[in-house]
Amino acid sequence: MGGSDFCCFGCEAAFSIINKIGLGSYYSYRKLDPNVRKIKPDNQDQIDLHSFIKKCQDDKNEILLAIDGIHCAACVWLIETILLKQENIISARVNLSKKYLKIKWFGAEENCQKYINLISEIGYKLFPFDENILLQEERKYNNDLVKCLAVSGFAAGNIMLFSIILWFYDQQEIGHAMKVFMQFFSSLIALPAIIYSSRPFFKSAFVALKNKSGNMDVPIAVAIFLASLVSLIQAFNQAKHVYFDSAIMLVFFLLIGRYLDFKARKKAFDLAREFTLINSSYARLVNEEGLIKIIASKDIKRGMKILILAGDKVAADGIIIQGQAEFDSSIVNGETVPKLFSFNQNIFAGMINISSPVVISVTKEQDESLIAEIAKIVDDAQAQKNSYVRIADRLARIYTPAVHIAALFTFIFWFYVMQSGLENSVLNAIAILVITCPCALALAVPITQTLTISSLLKRGVLAKSGDALESVNDIDIFVFDKTGTITFGNPVVVDFSCINRKLDFEEEDFYKKLAASICQYSKHPFSKAISLFYEQIKLNLDVTEHPSMGLSSSYKGHEVKIGSATFLEINDKNNNILLNKIYLKYKDDIILFSLKDELKKDAKFLIEYLQKLNKRIVLLSGDSKDIVINIANKVGIKEYYFEHNLMQKSIFIKDLKKQNHKILMVGDGINDAASLNLADISISFIAASELSKNTADIIVQGQNLSPIIDFLNISKRSMNIIKQNLLIALCYNIIAIPFAFMGYVSPLVAAFAMSSSSILVVLNSIKILSYKNLYK
Amino acid sequence: MGVLLFLIPVTFGLALCGLGAFLWTIKNKQYDDIEGSANRILFDNEGKEDNFSDKKRK
Repeated sequence: MGGSDFCCFGCEAAFSIINKIGLGSYYSYRKLDPNVRKIKPDNQDQIDLHSFIKKCQDDKNEILLAIDGIHCAACVWLIETILLKQENIISARVNLSKKYLKIKWFGAEENCQKYINLISEIGYKLFPFDENILLQEERKYNNDLVKCLAVSGFAAGNIMLFSIILWFYDQQEIGHAMKVFMQFFSSLIALPAIIYSSRPFFKSAFVALKNKSGNMDVPIAVAIFLASLVSLIQAFNQAKHVYFDSAIMLVFFLLIGRYLDFKARKKAFDLAREFTLINSSYARLVNEEGLIKIIASKDIKRGMKILILAGDKVAADGIIIQGQAEFDSSIVNGETVPKLFSFNQNIFAGMINISSPVVISVTKEQDESLIAEIAKIVDDAQAQKNSYVRIADRLARIYTPAVHIAALFTFIFWFYVMQSGLENSVLNAIAILVITCPCALALAVPITQTLTISSLLKRGVLAKSGDALESVNDIDIFVFDKTGTITFGNPVVVDFSCINRKLDFEEEDFYKKLAASICQYSKHPFSKAISLFYEQIKLNLDVTEHPSMGLSSSYKGHEVKIGSATFLEINDKNNNILLNKIYLKYKDDIILFSLKDELKKDAKFLIEYLQKLNKRIVLLSGDSKDIVINIANKVGIKEYYFEHNLMQKSIFIKDLKKQNHKILMVGDGINDAASLNLADISISFIAASELSKNTADIIVQGQNLSPIIDFLNISKRSMNIIKQNLLIALCYNIIAIPFAFMGYVSPLVAAFAMSSSSILVVLNSIKILSYKNLYK
Repeated sequence: MGVLLFLIPVTFGLALCGLGAFLWTIKNKQYDDIEGSANRILFDNEGKEDNFSDKKRK
């Protein structure tokens, strides 16, 4: 692999480190899209690790570290192998699904920092966290649903063996003893399995009844209970029909739906946990000498002084003693518009500083603030079960009494009108309850949603909430941010020229190389753009940075200056506001670099696509007039607003909402976060500010805009399929009820009807996977 | 037909063993890192057996 194959310095540096320690085979394990992976060789703050290290016996230490930037097996292999080559390491194990690393080592606690630095050097960020968070999570999701699913699936399969014999052969063929034995054995398997695996439904139904409301689980629980009870009585009476197979199969199918639903939401939970771990597990402590030390949030004590920079999340409740800043407090009190806080005002853990640095004095220790916050995010995610599920529950409020009245009516009809005896009448009534059990109805929504979310994920779109998928059909206004959304958000070199004379090819090459070599030392976006513009071999130079002016250095005894026109004392007559001009002066030559924030390649495609759908498109930017007009004209957006700050943006969205518009907003900056929160659907990018990523319903991986089109189409399709599924389920019930009423429902018919309607719903949902991308 | 009376409990017992084994894998946290484990089989251990054996994982 040669020197020119690297996307950036980070990779090149990593490559040399990796090769030096003899781990070159990393590159054969690697499989990732370089456009997606964001490499951050930033300086990592030194975090005080002491409180995170767990002392085990025999002088062993253990620590858990969340990893940011891990994507594939090669990352796992690289991190583990590098660590294992170190002295004193007992084990280093990465969990790729949950994105954390567990290191165990002998000897001094201090070694840990060394290990962390080693991993940070190759571009992964590590954040220590408390084991309690994992334990808490495990307690909450201890795979109970999977166990129920396993038990019910096992029981359903085994009972089916007997049921098939019981359905198709009558007593003369298999003998009375055999029939009794099989019925008895069925009940032996079914009863414990039903009791064990239908707990989720009974719990949920019980909670609903306690709150004096109904949900889909109420008829489900009633049907399961009655079917089992009657079957048990029938088995004891050695009667013709037992419904164990139907009951357990019902539980099994319903659990599949429940599990899929859970999995989709767990994804959102994992994401929330990753965000939280990476953002808020430490704080900047200001000690007596005024020095700043990074400590764990849980070590914060009352009276400590904490520095909060812009973008930081407040780690503990406190009072401002220095400075003033705007805080986003949506996670604390649901207020979407940030407020200004100044001296002597209280701020609370979880708020995010969005403007300037402040120092607070801690008033309340927040040992559990992180855990409490995670719990809150999870609860929010769960409360956000999408509106269709809620419609299904609303349906249940009509459905449950309707079904029970139908059953009662059936009983009365058979017992009083037909005089067919108590047992037969009860059986027919129960058949109604069993067959109307909303099995397909309970599968219809979660299956479609899970398939939709996984189908979106394949196209680089991460859906955090189900609500976002539901409201897509009603969207009539699309609002776009400019910087970082329609454009890349960072300038690139679009033109390179020499002002005073014509350069030959070699000279041109030399100046590009010189400029790139100097600029690599600065973090200013313009410098970054120039150093990326020409990045092959870089010279080692001494560079001085003059803040907001430029850079100076010397090469072969001559001074080199690079920066703005004023810094180089150049009089530039042609003042084009759309271009950022950077000059380089060496000897007598003056070189001009023109920089510009470029449109994303597929921006025009997306806008044209939306225009074809006759949607109202708005460009809402904080940038200055000329630049916004220029970009709007280029992509063809007619309605644009410029110089809008965070407040004005959110007021704009609010006003639209008041007029009953449904809004989809795409944005990436901190100043978009409030508006994103207000919009019906909000989309952000993986490289966006944490604040807007936390707020957005949908996160697009990479920088492209075209996945938004996929998102629109797939969720529209998904909505149609959900509607079809509900229709199928309803049709099935309308056909089935008269049969049950007439007493024609044998266990065979019940089992067949139930599985066929469920399978039909599943097959219908699979259609979602056949979607083809529009933009290549 | 009589043989079924014997065979059914036997097959059921065997199936129960399978269910038990599955529940054990859940309890043993074998589904903790599905993505990672799937890729791990492709790694060369390079002499560091410790890290890859289940013994040290707990």
